[in-house]
Amino acid sequence: MAAGARERILEATYACVARYGISKTTVEDAAREARLSRATVYRHFPGGKDELVNETIRWETNRFFLRLAEAVAGTNGLDEMLVEALLFAHRAIEQHAVLQKILQTEPELLLPQLSVDSDRVLGFIKTFLRPAVEEHGLPPGTDPDQAADYLSRMVMSFIAAQGRWDLTDREQVRDLVRTELLTGL
Amino acid sequence: MTVVDLTASGTLAGPRPSSTPSPSTGTTTTTPERRIVDAALRCICRWGVAKTALDDVAREAGCSRATVYRLFPGGKDGLMETVARTEIERFFAALADRLDTAATLEDGIVGVMAEAGHRLKTHEALQYLLAHEPEAVLPRLAFSEMDQVLRIASDFAAPRLSRWLPDDEARRAAEWVARLIVSYSITPATHMSIDDEGSVRALVRTFVLPGLTNLTNNANANASATRAANEGGTTNGQDH
Repeated sequence: MAAGARERILEATYACVARYGISKTTVEDAAREARLSRATVYRHFPGGKDELVNETIRWETNRFFLRLAEAVAGTNGLDEMLVEALLFAHRAIEQHAVLQKILQTEPELLLPQLSVDSDRVLGFIKTFLRPAVEEHGLPPGTDPDQAADYLSRMVMSFIAAQGRWDLTDREQVRDLVRTELLTGL
Repeated sequence: MTVVDLTASGTLAGPRPSSTPSPSTGTTTTTPERRIVDAALRCICRWGVAKTALDDVAREAGCSRATVYRLFPGGKDGLMETVARTEIERFFAALADRLDTAATLEDGIVGVMAEAGHRLKTHEALQYLLAHEPEAVLPRLAFSEMDQVLRIASDFAAPRLSRWLPDDEARRAAEWVARLIVSYSITPATHMSIDDEGSVRALVRTFVLPGLTNLTNNANANASATRAANEGGTTNGQDH
């Protein structure tokens, strides 16, 4: 029941942020949207608006990476997994209307929190990739943890910015995975 | 809110003269502008960007507020831009030095990563901002702004890496290395440290060089083949 209310509040806050942006969203807005009292919201998020916003960013980040994990779940091998992950993540970021709107209008309210979260996200991707790295096999002397760490950093870096690559082009993504991600593996 | 524009400098793209004064000797020939910029940097280390007022900077520099305004007509924003540009130029000058003096591609990449890692980790003002005012720095390192940083890093490093790599591969390598520097600096790893040459070398040897040495060999082979064709078979290619 408590978890249900928390989830409802986060979902409601997300809806408010999508509508009004981060700075204009209030605790009252979130409570109204969730059809809960202001007191209930404060009981779950004693830190008020700041905590509510930070937890909502975290919640949507989790959802994003769960969608990504789901999208690559059926792939065969590390190679294909990374190709699909980069294609999916790049497209999902481009098409993420709320993210794109915030990046346009109030990036300074979003990016510090995303960066605070980057350790956790890195850990999540690493844990996810680790079995595929083991299965892929490594040259003698290469530590699977370090390989998974390297790959996760590269994936995160390319999710944040495609740079000189076109991550909508499957051939280029294959090329990228072959020449920069898996080259030492 | 003032946001430090890390990408403000247009001077990073071109090759820099190697005679750039080092920060440690910067006090010998200080212009008033330089004194004010250095004072502003010290203020940022203490209070951050948002809380630094021009009065503070003037007091720190030992000059009047009017002098600050005369030399920096853009006011605080203009001054902060200059501070950022000055620090970025210093940073790139040190990286240029590492790349230009390296004997091999491996030494160049390892040197530039460790130097950048060390400078970012020990930069007092930057570390203050990351801890207390991340919104002044981090928006520059994600999404479209990060694309811009990667472009600047490539423009800077690619001509220097082309000592060892064909132009297009040099650009690719430059961006690749820039990504690693940003990642390991912003999210430190537990198993290695970006400012430690030994662990950077292990990383570069394991994950980066295998993706470049083939290209170097190909490039050398192509270059040798071209030379051989042009010179009728008498080549004296350099060893790497």
